[in-house]
Amino acid sequence: MTDPTPSTPPPDVMIRLEGLAKRYPGQSADAVSALSMDIRRGEFVVFVGPSGCGKTTTLRMINRLVEPSAGRIWIDGEDVTDVDPDRLRRRIGYVIQQIGLIPHMTVAQNVGLVPRLLGWDKARIRDRVDELLDLVGLDPAVFRDRYPKQLSGGQQQRVGVARALAGDPPVMLMDEPFGAIDPITRDRLQDEFLKLQERIRKTIVFVTHDIDEALKLGDRIAIFGEGSRLAQFATPLEILSAPADDYVRSFVGSGAAIRRLGLLRVADIPGGGTPPSDGAVRVTEDHTVYAALEKMLESGTDRMVVGGNGRGERSLTLRDLLLAAARAKGEPR
Amino acid sequence: MSAADTVTVEAGAPVRGWALPAIAVTLVAGMFGYLHTAHLDSIEARLLATDEILARTVEHVRLVAASTAAVIVIAVPLGVLLTRRRARLLAAPVLALANAGQAIPSIGVLVLLAILFDVGFAMAVIALVAYAALPVLRNTMIGLRQVDRSVIDAGRGMGMSPLQVLLKIELPLAVPVMIAGIRIALILNVGVATLATYTNAGGLGSLIESGIVFNRMPVLMTGSVLTVALALLVDWLAGLTEQVLRPRGL
Repeated sequence: MTDPTPSTPPPDVMIRLEGLAKRYPGQSADAVSALSMDIRRGEFVVFVGPSGCGKTTTLRMINRLVEPSAGRIWIDGEDVTDVDPDRLRRRIGYVIQQIGLIPHMTVAQNVGLVPRLLGWDKARIRDRVDELLDLVGLDPAVFRDRYPKQLSGGQQQRVGVARALAGDPPVMLMDEPFGAIDPITRDRLQDEFLKLQERIRKTIVFVTHDIDEALKLGDRIAIFGEGSRLAQFATPLEILSAPADDYVRSFVGSGAAIRRLGLLRVADIPGGGTPPSDGAVRVTEDHTVYAALEKMLESGTDRMVVGGNGRGERSLTLRDLLLAAARAKGEPR
Repeated sequence: MSAADTVTVEAGAPVRGWALPAIAVTLVAGMFGYLHTAHLDSIEARLLATDEILARTVEHVRLVAASTAAVIVIAVPLGVLLTRRRARLLAAPVLALANAGQAIPSIGVLVLLAILFDVGFAMAVIALVAYAALPVLRNTMIGLRQVDRSVIDAGRGMGMSPLQVLLKIELPLAVPVMIAGIRIALILNVGVATLATYTNAGGLGSLIESGIVFNRMPVLMTGSVLTVALALLVDWLAGLTEQVLRPRGL
């Protein structure tokens, strides 16, 4: 056990869970049992499942807010199962549904908390706070000295995200961060967060019970079943096109084929003829198939011209779209 | 003052009025005015000499200060300890003990202490502490328990040690409730300290007791009025302290 060489994960694995289990004292069943999983560097992994499936417990074992009963945790090539948990947590961003901003501290003090724990000097903390508030779309001059009570729910969760990023941790753990926010704001926060992630490329583990949120955000999705069984761990497209079992199928719900169209991009569709001259709709390679199809339906045509990416134009028919959507079997996004 | 109030956004408690100190000052002034004009016999004149009154008042304030300080030093750490997860089982018996301390009449405790040990300042303070510990202990525990669990969870999740969470999150957020408890203890102590005269510890109770024993109304009145005025002043000061120490942003 003390010799790390046998199971040291390869360098592209940021988080490795190895036979991770949790049984609370006095309980007859494991809350999480023998879970193994590799999460790659820069990957956005979503844990999804019904209440009590162990997804939050698993998340909280990664930063050891819950101590595992068995198994090992590796982060960035280091076995962290037995290191000092306080020091470990300062290197891991943590965002929770209730946000948990400290009410008697200003926005700047909240965001600067981990840098203070890490012993940064004042000037560096101040610069970092302003940089992060900018990053999450809050004007530092306006929000720096406000108290959490003076912010809306959406603004509070932006501060929560900024706070989690403060120490520039390679790993972020997010426990239903957008769960208590109204649907419109939630949608916007999700979009913003995806854009943010494109820039910061953190390794993210994100817990939700909302499969649509999981499909929208995740590079890969881990679907948990009863008794913390890992039912499927795959890309959103794979989960929609090839659900591992009936449980996954029922969890994803109806309309899998339609929802898949939102994950496919026009660029994923092969072939295409020369552009016609009649009234076809124009789309770009970056459009989702869903959006392209909607444009065609709106203008009542069965052809579209794809272009604007500098590689010349091609034309696709409704039939090309339908065939491609039916064939799509879980290529990564 | 009003300009500053409109700038700060958080509500907070309104600035306390001057009613309490005004009543206290009026009472004391009226009393001294009466003593100045009244015809006092030799017993009254001796008991109500300005030096005497001042000495009794200082004794009373010392009793209240010492016992309240002792209550804070004992009950606040105890309350912190009893809200820690490992000590949770101890909470019920300790609270029961504190309850008993308040249920037993202080005069009984004083007499028992005097019989078993000795009379004097220390015995009076012990009796006062036993009586006033409960509100401070209980409010410390309530104050700490009502801190939002998610704030503590976030603090722990960011890598704050349990001690840092206690000092930077839990205690500041518990301060308003804790001070409310300390304020109750202070007021209780001002009243109960009048009994300290029975254990020969002086205080304004001596004036009241002498007034009764010698059947001298002015003496009895002076002791009572000063006790009331002191209680009003102490409550007012505690309220001011509460405002100063209340964390911003709540």
